[in-house]
Amino acid sequence: MFFQSALPKIFVGRKQLLLVAAFLLSFIALPVWAATPVLRVLAWPGYAEPEVVQSFEKRHGVRVEVTVITSDVSLWQKISMHNMDYDVFAVNVAELQRYITSNLVQPLQPEQIPNTHRQLVRFRNLAAIPGLVSGGKTFGIPFTYSEMGLIYDRKQVSAPPTSIAALWDTQYRGKVIAYDGGTHNFSLAAQKLKLKSPFHIAEADWQRVAENLIGMRRNVLGFYTQPEESAELFLRHKAALMFANYGMQQVHLLKNAGADIGYAIPKEGALTWLDCWVITRSVRDPELAHAWIDHLLGEQASRLLTERQGLASTMVESTATRPEDRLLWLQPPEDTGRREKLWGRIRSGDKLSRVMAP
Amino acid sequence: MKFPIAWRLGLILVLVGVLGVGLTGYFAYQASRDQLVKASEERLLTETRVLMRQVTVALKGIVADVRLLAQHPQAERILLHTNPGFQALAESNVAILFEGMMVVHPEYFQIRLIEAANYGKERIRVDRGMGDILRIASADLQEKGHYPYVFDTLQLAPGAVYISRASINHEAGAHAGEERPSLQVASPVYGANNKAIGVIVINVDLQGLFAQLAVDLPPELNLYLANVSGDFLIHPDPAHSFAFDRGQDAHVQEEFPDTVALLHSSGHRKNSVVTSKRDPSATTEAIVAAFIYQPLEGLEAEDEFILGLSQPLPSVLAQSERLAADTLRIVLSISALAILLAIILARALVRPLNQIVSEVRRFSTDGSIGVLPTARSDEIGELALSIELMEAQIHKQIEDMQEQQNKLDHMASHDSLTGLPNRRLFLERLDQALARAKRHEKQLALLFIDLDGFKVINDTHGHNAGDIVLQAVAQRLRGLLRETDTAARIGGDEFVVLIEDSCDNASIDSIVRKVQAGMSLPIQYQDIELVVGGSIGVARYPEDGTTASTLIAASDQAMYRCKVKK
Repeated sequence: MFFQSALPKIFVGRKQLLLVAAFLLSFIALPVWAATPVLRVLAWPGYAEPEVVQSFEKRHGVRVEVTVITSDVSLWQKISMHNMDYDVFAVNVAELQRYITSNLVQPLQPEQIPNTHRQLVRFRNLAAIPGLVSGGKTFGIPFTYSEMGLIYDRKQVSAPPTSIAALWDTQYRGKVIAYDGGTHNFSLAAQKLKLKSPFHIAEADWQRVAENLIGMRRNVLGFYTQPEESAELFLRHKAALMFANYGMQQVHLLKNAGADIGYAIPKEGALTWLDCWVITRSVRDPELAHAWIDHLLGEQASRLLTERQGLASTMVESTATRPEDRLLWLQPPEDTGRREKLWGRIRSGDKLSRVMAP
Repeated sequence: MKFPIAWRLGLILVLVGVLGVGLTGYFAYQASRDQLVKASEERLLTETRVLMRQVTVALKGIVADVRLLAQHPQAERILLHTNPGFQALAESNVAILFEGMMVVHPEYFQIRLIEAANYGKERIRVDRGMGDILRIASADLQEKGHYPYVFDTLQLAPGAVYISRASINHEAGAHAGEERPSLQVASPVYGANNKAIGVIVINVDLQGLFAQLAVDLPPELNLYLANVSGDFLIHPDPAHSFAFDRGQDAHVQEEFPDTVALLHSSGHRKNSVVTSKRDPSATTEAIVAAFIYQPLEGLEAEDEFILGLSQPLPSVLAQSERLAADTLRIVLSISALAILLAIILARALVRPLNQIVSEVRRFSTDGSIGVLPTARSDEIGELALSIELMEAQIHKQIEDMQEQQNKLDHMASHDSLTGLPNRRLFLERLDQALARAKRHEKQLALLFIDLDGFKVINDTHGHNAGDIVLQAVAQRLRGLLRETDTAARIGGDEFVVLIEDSCDNASIDSIVRKVQAGMSLPIQYQDIELVVGGSIGVARYPEDGTTASTLIAASDQAMYRCKVKK
């Protein structure tokens, strides 16, 4: 009797056996799950909000796998090395060219994306945005953008700056804050020099541009790389003017900190990054991918993008810009490596002869 | 299935014993292990505190150097160009001073004198090269006015010292310090008009500094350094150090969530945290780590440090593994002892029981019982006593039954009125006597006695009187006869006597006469005297017959003849 009561507890009960069986069965059952179509999306933070994903899954009876990317480098690695694993992704237009050249993306059919009709005119004329159309075929649909304007302290700067040349204005010497990035700074200097294109500096112009950047260096208080860092510098040193590489994000940061600032788009045009949705070469279901892009241009996705991320949608005019403001969509510069190398020397404090040394 | 009680009892004792010892061992091990881990955590924390103190001391040393150089009169003179004739000599003297300091402090990448004018132009710069110390030529000197270590330091009061955030030095031409984790420590140089006219900057090799400080640490300890935002500056895995500089994320609060309490964003900021990390992937071992945040008091630091040391848990637990082995050994040996004790105990309990069982079994077979453990004062003793008592009762009952049986036997073979053997018993005895006489060729005699006048007494005085007469006759017969003779009542008033010894005629005649005389004596009945006589017939073996029936018949006839003669 003693044994009878004690022994069953030592052995595996029926319940445990059932659990094991269920666990094993789940492996057999998995392929049934996988039968639901899956859309594999690569998106930047805030692009594919959970509600947006849910409503898409519900409407199309599919499952969406969102992988979040945070840098151009990791995006390039994923798409170039694991193209098979993704259907649709968001990429900067300036970056798109190399994906097209490497045959990693495929043309899409704008007529399958009816929500494009809701977009602002400047985003519907795809051919006018460099980098979206290649060989007569459309590769990307604009989704969100941010311009790089000028932030100014209303107390120190009486009238909103109208030109990018304000960064060189000696009356603000030691009161200007600029971004520590060669590619953009060379574009800015090219704009100041009124070169034909800020993205294509002619060989003869390099020295002038570099000289101007040394001038800019001598006029600034300092350079920043992160938005928070820029806001801290601006406030701590009571700066008058700042080039807003992160656009509205920095405006928000400073306003939240109580700064009395304005935001201006220079007449030369604000450098503007534009992200677009593209479809990978190895997309499994192109129709579903088109439906996703259409969904992301819908009311819900556009609203959440502005509400939660403070990013501009392509549906309504941004509060930061006026319709007449010129936006210069970023393009791949003529030679990123050269710009960065020269910028490294300029920032380190070298004089022109050393900057231009081979 | 049948399990003897010894088995079951033993098993229960073993289980209880082993379970008790096992649980005690387990909890003792757990407690000791926790204490070991705690002790090593304390040790780790102490090591980290010591290291942090060294860091602070080292930083104060650097600060003292920077202050010394910034307040050196030569620095002011060079910046103010007070003596153009000796400018070059002064600069060269200061450069030699810088070089001397660089030699003494291998953790210095760079020492510079930078002027406030000319966009922060470097005036004297000494760099660490590949194993040598370089004074940078004036043509290669750069403008540094846009760096915080210049524009922030120029805002400081005389003697104040600026300590930059730890960062990767991307300044081109910085020689050994280029693209290396660095810390800029700077102090303003003041001119006569109480105006900051330049700065002294020392670039510190962050890794070199910490490598120096950590050189005495046990090799299994790993060093972590983070800024107060949690960005790793030093990490055992170089891929995590300065990840922010490469646009990546690697934060101490992600790897060690408890350290969030040390960060500047924390509501209730703590100064130290001891935590552990159990990596889900089997390849990396779990570690214990201690982290410390200590404000750099008295220093104008742009940022502060969180310093941590980690130790692989296996090395912490190596001691507790030994402890586990010891505990296991103790548990096993005590368990073995428990098993032995259980067996002995079970046997000690079961042996007297078995003894009782075998004695009871023997009692049932041969009716007697041996020695029982009645001397014991416990339940077993009581049991033995009860069994002994029961045995006595059983014995008594058997004796009673025997007596009853004897009575029954007596009643079956004796006449209830007179107590003499009845006909059946008498015939048995006669047969036995005949057999004996035949075997030993002896004689025997049979007397047949019939009472005279008995019927008359019965009729006139009643049966009661008859019974009294019969009882009296029987009484007298018993008195007259020897023990070897048998008298029996075989009919209403008929008696027989079997005489086995002394069967010669004289003896028989004597017996007959004695019986005759006895019969004739009056018998008192109430207040009258009753008198009967007896007719006696004698038959002899072997003369008158050789069988019981012929002898009885012969004696009967002899009696009858005697009665007729009267």
